[in-house]
Amino acid sequence: MSSKQSILNALKSVAVAPQAMPSINVSPRLDDVIGQFETNLGTVAGTLHREGGLAALQAKVDELLKEGKQVISQVEGVTGNRNAPDTAHELRDIDFAVIPGDLAVAENGAIWVNNQHLGHRVTPFICENLFLVVSADKVVANMHQAIKQISLESGEFGVFIAGPSKTADIEQALVVGAHGACSLNVYLV
Amino acid sequence: MSSQTTAINSGVHAKKADIFCQDEARVDWHSKALWMLREKRDRAAASLPEWEQLRQLGSEMKLHTLTHLGEYLETFEKNCQANGIVVHWAKDGAEHNQIVHSILAKHQVKKLVKSKSMLTEECHLNPYLESKGIGVIDTDLGERIIQLAKQPPSHIVVPAIHLKKEEVGDLFHDKLGTKAGASDPLYLTRAARAHLREQFLSADAAMTGVNMAIADKGAVVVCTNEGNADMGANLPKLQLHSMGIDKIVPDLDSAAVLLRTLARNATGQPVTTYSSFYRGPQTGGEMHVIIVDNGRTDMLQDKILAESLKCIRCGGCLNTCPVYRRSGGFSYNYTIPGPIGIAVGAQADDTHSIPWACTLCGSCSYVCPTKVPLDKIIHHHRRLKAKAGKLPYGKRNYMPLVGNFMASETMLNCSMSVARTALRILPGSLLKPFSGAWGKYRELPVAPKSSFEAWFNKNRGQ
Ligand code: SF4
Repeated sequence: MSSKQSILNALKSVAVAPQAMPSINVSPRLDDVIGQFETNLGTVAGTLHREGGLAALQAKVDELLKEGKQVISQVEGVTGNRNAPDTAHELRDIDFAVIPGDLAVAENGAIWVNNQHLGHRVTPFICENLFLVVSADKVVANMHQAIKQISLESGEFGVFIAGPSKTADIEQALVVGAHGACSLNVYLV
Repeated sequence: MSSQTTAINSGVHAKKADIFCQDEARVDWHSKALWMLREKRDRAAASLPEWEQLRQLGSEMKLHTLTHLGEYLETFEKNCQANGIVVHWAKDGAEHNQIVHSILAKHQVKKLVKSKSMLTEECHLNPYLESKGIGVIDTDLGERIIQLAKQPPSHIVVPAIHLKKEEVGDLFHDKLGTKAGASDPLYLTRAARAHLREQFLSADAAMTGVNMAIADKGAVVVCTNEGNADMGANLPKLQLHSMGIDKIVPDLDSAAVLLRTLARNATGQPVTTYSSFYRGPQTGGEMHVIIVDNGRTDMLQDKILAESLKCIRCGGCLNTCPVYRRSGGFSYNYTIPGPIGIAVGAQADDTHSIPWACTLCGSCSYVCPTKVPLDKIIHHHRRLKAKAGKLPYGKRNYMPLVGNFMASETMLNCSMSVARTALRILPGSLLKPFSGAWGKYRELPVAPKSSFEAWFNKNRGQ
């Protein structure tokens, strides 16, 4: 018998009586959703830029370009100095990546990023620093609302990003910047 | 559990805990570090008015899935295949390891980057692959530290919690060439970042565990703070994901419930930095999912043990456990320590002592985000050991006597009165030897003047 079959056979006799699926109905906290998002983004070590939109972001990028930084942008209306390369490995020297987020979650500061806008899937992780752009009307209250809106098509990859990468594996000391981006700035447009 | 997961380095829990307890300052420090996580967890939980509702939903949703597991696993497989994911089934750790090896061998993989997975630890994958000539690099910082130190994890979320920064500094100096005597966590983390980047960029394949497998989408969710799972899985063309059959959830809505409690209960964060959903391989790549039983279907045949499969491995029960915090992760004879480690590992424990590494205080059950009834399960394990005639030495001899003794009211009352008098009038040093292991790190109690029964009869009785 195949292992699959023997596992499925064993599962025919679970000792617990069948339980119904509960309905998931949690009331969202709707007061000042953007304020909640800003606070929670701060908790996870990210920074929100509420004013200035894409123009403010482009001004920041221009500054970085002047310093000789390598900037790749996947956001229409923001221009860097690098194009998406053929292989993911060529992204190893990217200093800043500018990426569009589909929506943001107020309760935890997370932003949903979908690989349709990434070029290579590894872009938001391999860059030294990350800029995410989210539309102000795409900030939802909690994960239950967020998950209803995300599209995850067959063959795709998507990720909730809440802040820069971090670790506390050495004596519980929080260090920002583990393997992924070392900083996260979110621009509201 | 199957023979694949037999106890590691067995030794009676109390003896192994004794080794950890020799360094009293370290025990205090260990206990405090974990209690800090517990406090952060409490703050995160208290900040959500719906916390108890989420625990209830998590529990019911997991029980629903576990009682329909066959159907969900088949749906999951079918949907994965439609998304271009190759699905494998393994009845035990040995088969899991063979499957992994055959995939890697087919692609002539020389170096595998791995992201933290308790399941691959449970299956002892690393030594197996290394014996086949494949280099395995653990990429979670804590995992990398203990891999370099050649130790197993001592905690399921913070695997190197038992080590001090000076020890990590010495290790990194030795293995990664950092400055001698350096112990600054920022400096050491940066050094590990540079070292591991090279590994990610030169790996031929990546492997991760799975936090949730979404049946109706055919997708897996992987949660990390460091981004190591994603740096791994998205660079090489070959990605592998190992999951226990218990990782299935019906749909995205149910995944959202668990995503809300997992990180809050683990470290007090509102969510992990990265919660990644993989629904197929990257362009030109290959994605494999290995579904593993390894004793889980056996547990489902026992009504009480079955509930331990509701666990989402947040580590909350370890952080709150007074025994774990003071005995360290290496005293449990199993890859997973603490209350949940007892729940899923006690059957494989050939010293039969692990179910007693617990005060039955119930704190673990109280913090668990899916309401795993840990104290009930641990108590059940004691009964199972007793029934099988496998009580650890000592308990086997005196427990029946205690039973008879407690059953006799006169004997109990009379001896308790002797004990009270003794505690009041004899010096502690004379009595301490009689308190056994219990009294080793504790002061003896101050005895009340009268028994509870006498007090009750006088004040509340009729
Ligand atoms: S048993 Fe509960 S508290 Fe313990 S690790 Fe599992 S989910 Fe967390």
